Amino acid sequence: MGDGGRGRGRAVSELIAVIASHDPAVRDRPLDSFCRGAALDRLLAECEALDQFRRASDNLYERVRALFFLYAIHRFHIPRAVAQAKRPAGAGRRIPFSGYANLLKRRFHEALDIFLAAQAADGPGPALSSALAAGYRALGFQTLADQVRRSVRSVSGNQWMFRTGHPADYPLRIRPELLARQGSDPLFPILQEATPVRMDLTHSGWSDIFFLGMDFPEGARVLNVSIDLSVRGAGTDAPRPPVEAYFRVIDQPVLRLTSVDLKAGVDIGSIAEVFDFARDYLGLLKAALIASGIVPSGMEGCNRPLAELLAKLVGLPGHGIEIVSKVNDIPKGSRLAVSTSLLSCLIAACMRATGQIHALTGGLDEEDRRLVAARAILGEWLGGSGGGWQDSGGVWPGIKLIHGVLAGEGDPEFGISRGRLLPGHKVFGTDEVSPAAREQLRQSLVLVHGGMAQDVGPVLEMVTEKYLLRSEAEWQGRREAIRILDEILDRLKRDDIRGIGARTHRNFDGPIQTIIPWAGNLYTDSLIEQARAAMGEDFWGFWMLGGMSGGGMGFLFSPQRKAAAEDRLGTIMRETKRRLEHAVPFAMDPVVYDFAINERGTASRLLSGGAALLPADYYTLAVPPLLRADSRLLSPGRRAELDRFSAACHSVPEFSGMVQRLFEHMLPRRQAGRAGQQDSLDRLLAEHGFDAVHHERIQADLRAGRIGLAQNRLPANSKIEDPAPETIFDATGCLPPRYLETGRAALADGAVAVVSLAGGVGSRWTKGAGVVKALNPFCRLGGRRRSFLEVHLAKSLRVGREAGKLLPHVITTSYLTHQAIESYLRAERNYGYPGPLLLSGGGAIGLRMTPMERDLRFAWEETPRQLLDEQAQKVQESLQATLIAWAKQAGEGGNYTDNLPLQCLHPVGHWYEVPNLLRNGTLADLLAGRPELKYLMVHNVDTAGADVDAALLGYHIEEGAAMTAEVIARHIEDRGGGLASVDGSVRLVEGLALPSEEIESRLSWYNSATYWIDIGQLLTVFGLERDDLGDAAKVAVAIRNLAARMPTYITLKDVKKRWGKGQEDVFPVAQFEKLWGDMTALPEWKCRFALVPRARGQQLKEPAQLDGWLRDGSAAYVESLCGWAVAG
Amino acid sequence: MKIKKAVITAAGEQQRLLPLQTLIDRDGEEKSVLGILIEQALAAQAEEVCVVVWPGDEARYAQAAARHLGHVRFVPQPRPLGYGHAVYCAREFVAGDAFLHLVGDHLWVRRTAGSCARDLVELAEAEQCAVSAVQVTRENFLPRYGAVGGRRIPGRQGLYRIETVIEKPTPTEAERRLTTPGLRAGYYLCFFGMHVFTPAIMDLLGRQLAEAPDARLALSPALAELARREQYLAVEEDARRYDIGARYGLLAAQLALALNGRDRAEVLAQFVELLATWETGAAAGGER
Repeated sequence: MGDGGRGRGRAVSELIAVIASHDPAVRDRPLDSFCRGAALDRLLAECEALDQFRRASDNLYERVRALFFLYAIHRFHIPRAVAQAKRPAGAGRRIPFSGYANLLKRRFHEALDIFLAAQAADGPGPALSSALAAGYRALGFQTLADQVRRSVRSVSGNQWMFRTGHPADYPLRIRPELLARQGSDPLFPILQEATPVRMDLTHSGWSDIFFLGMDFPEGARVLNVSIDLSVRGAGTDAPRPPVEAYFRVIDQPVLRLTSVDLKAGVDIGSIAEVFDFARDYLGLLKAALIASGIVPSGMEGCNRPLAELLAKLVGLPGHGIEIVSKVNDIPKGSRLAVSTSLLSCLIAACMRATGQIHALTGGLDEEDRRLVAARAILGEWLGGSGGGWQDSGGVWPGIKLIHGVLAGEGDPEFGISRGRLLPGHKVFGTDEVSPAAREQLRQSLVLVHGGMAQDVGPVLEMVTEKYLLRSEAEWQGRREAIRILDEILDRLKRDDIRGIGARTHRNFDGPIQTIIPWAGNLYTDSLIEQARAAMGEDFWGFWMLGGMSGGGMGFLFSPQRKAAAEDRLGTIMRETKRRLEHAVPFAMDPVVYDFAINERGTASRLLSGGAALLPADYYTLAVPPLLRADSRLLSPGRRAELDRFSAACHSVPEFSGMVQRLFEHMLPRRQAGRAGQQDSLDRLLAEHGFDAVHHERIQADLRAGRIGLAQNRLPANSKIEDPAPETIFDATGCLPPRYLETGRAALADGAVAVVSLAGGVGSRWTKGAGVVKALNPFCRLGGRRRSFLEVHLAKSLRVGREAGKLLPHVITTSYLTHQAIESYLRAERNYGYPGPLLLSGGGAIGLRMTPMERDLRFAWEETPRQLLDEQAQKVQESLQATLIAWAKQAGEGGNYTDNLPLQCLHPVGHWYEVPNLLRNGTLADLLAGRPELKYLMVHNVDTAGADVDAALLGYHIEEGAAMTAEVIARHIEDRGGGLASVDGSVRLVEGLALPSEEIESRLSWYNSATYWIDIGQLLTVFGLERDDLGDAAKVAVAIRNLAARMPTYITLKDVKKRWGKGQEDVFPVAQFEKLWGDMTALPEWKCRFALVPRARGQQLKEPAQLDGWLRDGSAAYVESLCGWAVAG
Repeated sequence: MKIKKAVITAAGEQQRLLPLQTLIDRDGEEKSVLGILIEQALAAQAEEVCVVVWPGDEARYAQAAARHLGHVRFVPQPRPLGYGHAVYCAREFVAGDAFLHLVGDHLWVRRTAGSCARDLVELAEAEQCAVSAVQVTRENFLPRYGAVGGRRIPGRQGLYRIETVIEKPTPTEAERRLTTPGLRAGYYLCFFGMHVFTPAIMDLLGRQLAEAPDARLALSPALAELARREQYLAVEEDARRYDIGARYGLLAAQLALALNGRDRAEVLAQFVELLATWETGAAAGGER
């Protein structure tokens, strides 16, 4: 261990002693136990010492742990301590823009220095601490990623690829066996590699994350099984290796890449294109080419022709190579490491072909398997993805323990990290795990894909963070998971599969969800519950396959009931998916697999002569262009290809029916599905009152450049400043009792209703998956997984009960959410809410448009954006270039119709939600049922902490305001405008409208999007009286008139398009919005602004926020506001 | 251990004409490549030289050996079973003695006086073990050569104890198994085509041949085994090797000989004249 930095600060710092200790009892002490009772000054002193320590230490893990300690202290403890210390308002309120800009550019050290200087000048505060926390956390992860990258590069056998920068230096040659053609056959032999995927009996709390294995190798262990698969009931044969790669020499000087399952192929002629990962669907094949050394990493940026490299590689001028990949019917997100297995499979084939692996055919020896695994890690990094270190387990055979290894002398990691990058593999022989145990496992386990789509990236970050902080419960969970792995191993050796089921289930219920509460979800809980109910004692346990549940999962049953269980589980999954599909994101229909343990690991064979055929589906892609071309222009190889294909159609069973399929491919019939899609889109537009004239006007304005992202902004000469503190009512502390009394009286009178805005589908929440956010069971609260809607109703219930008068609760919906919310509420019996509950259907709809190139460029090039890690940034830039090309090709500003109808429509912004209450009669109904109603509290569905607080209501009433908007103190992650003084008048400004990001950083208060509205004044601003609400025409005119005074914003939204087997593409599409916050700019609309605590005003926009939200006490705060109608 | 014998292999189907090519040696005399190689062996104190040839090539080779014919014996390689097998064909000639081995398609040229082969032989005799001449070679040339991995012998400049031998390794394998302390990253010790072997090599080749009588027999696995069995050294050689079978290899070898020999001034003058005429012609052409 290094000894750097144990100088200054050590004597006073308790936390440095924790980090630097060799004694596990001290080293594993949780940070929280120290911070919980520490006063602000003590915390600040520790931060100063830790900051000096992390700068000076030359030991990776000391640095990283210090960074995460600093992050956690600033994120969770200093805000609490500042509040307790009653610091002067305004201290640490402003986050310097230059620091923020440096954060975006990943210049973390500079950003931190700027924030620290601001803290020294202005004093500590929650806003500055949020910036420091973000900086320390990002630097911590960057340091870890850099180390993994360095380790990957320094693995011996990988280094040469980084220094080979020119074809003249190129050292690889194709093996002679692959150049040996039979007689005058112009076609070369084919090397076929087939690889099993891996499943994970227990991941010991995500211990296969590289960082964990490198710091805590003793705890990094997984029981990993190589399996073959087929989809049950899909008419396919017995289980077989799920991924295949093919390699051959061809008679053209190109790299020909084809993915059979993604139906994509490309002929690459330049070295630069190999490094362009996101240009097409062939990024994985490109990563394999680079990681296998065929096009070494060092060649990036080399502008020599690819043919030069290929001539060296093949040894025959004018020749190239072809690589084909195939995934056999396994959907994406299977939690079976299909991508990494395919990457390993491709790499193995390429390395065999170039003699880097000794065996051309058959299995691999241990040394070569390790080499392939090391290259797969490199490939993952190149592709900007990140698998765990067990993911290439399919390269090995059978059942094995993969475990961390302490770094020893001679390892590149020695002296840097405790563990090695590459784990060890112990393959169990039949003397350790008997054939009977293997067979029983096969007989008991039902392997499924539940259909959910998830992004496990945030989970892996959370795990790393909690490990480094040694958070108490999570650290106990990790130790428990380690014990469970030992127990499972023991049960496996005793042929006790039932015992394994009990332990995998305990693992899921206990350690896994203790470490990451988000690993489970309502869907999985429901499946487990139903499986148990259906199969009783014969259900032996649930088995999470890693990452998160909901996708690939296992259920263990008594062997004699397995067939029945497979059928039953298939039905349960389909029905549950139907019930929950609007609440949780699904990528596909659930499937049940057949599987078999693969005892060979990856294996290859050489196909020569007539047997040298690629997969049948390859020819449906490759043959049509050949048939269309003049046969005289085809190379001899291509002509021979057609001959061989034609012969195979007559003699090879796999190729039967190919001629018919080819015809269908070349002469497609009219696609009924597509036509139906258009009909349905037209119907939806008609049903939801699509205003075609308005749409065309917007479209024309967009194309002409009159509106657009750049035009959203206020004039550059607007004077935009932070409003004076006296313009804001500070409601973060105890409010004057008179407000409370006034508010309580109003509540008791039945003068208030709640309006929850639930028209959205949470584009950021599920990354454009189109789930109704209001129904998403986002967190376990009050003992159950609760949706946003249930939480809001529970708050209304408590307030209503306390006031002695139940609150009317209105949920505004849109075409996207109305049906789902309505049927969900019916099924859940309004979550037991006894008060008046109304749905206010949306009355406006827009049709999304293909974005303008200038808007895409504006968003990606001219606004400050988070720069990604080096390789991920390259991939993103390549993707952006592809999307710009897509927009131009699809027609900029054109209607976006190439997706499911619902994905082509968009809500037109929440400005319309309140006027809709007027238009659709909801307000009239409310008033009819409760004439005493005077006030509305309108809030976003994701503002989980917003409730009808009597004191705030009292303030609003006493001020006589038309509207009181709630704001919170801005933290660094709060982007998107805020409260500002614009040319002297205080109003809410959308982020879209701010002339520059720098201005936003000068604004201290962020809009929480919770508004108290006086109904009388609302009607007045629309020019209406209560009695007018029955006059639809008058209301419509009033709304149109006011709408015309509201600015129209053009925004880009990411929309998912799903295809194939769980594949997804994300497209940025243009849409327009009008936003309610702009009402504060109306001179006749009297507004007040109240600063509320963060726990009340924070909006949950991304699932990655949840963990912090749970840990910083916000979740507990929300729980305290709720009166659950349905107990947990 | 006294080295009195030398073995030159020239039986490769693609290389069999190379030793018959004629060059002007450093002394200004016209000689065949074979003649130059035999002279190098004799200069290294070898008394007898065995040339392993393609069956039927003996007469042509005898002609090329010219005045040294009295020291030379030709042994045909009956079947083309590889480099190791060619060496093994000389087993009866070697008859249990250590011997100098030169490949027939290379020439070696030193800028300084003295013979590489003689230095190698003297070293082997002094160390009483097999020694191969090696050269530090960049990894992009690995597909052409056999390479060794080993450790420097402390206090001895350019001398290594060989631990591993791999024929034409990939850079991946070289990096994992042939990295030698003291060399720059990406550089390896590759064979120079000049060795002194102990008789044990013949036993090893014989054993490998017996295991697979019809398979091609490479030399490197036997050398790897030799390194495991007995002390086997590598010595860094500062001369240049010229593969006369490579493209322009013969020309390069000829130029090297000429520029390091008696006719250096004459050849340089011809060069300068050639270049000047060429450049002048090009300029004149350009002006036109």
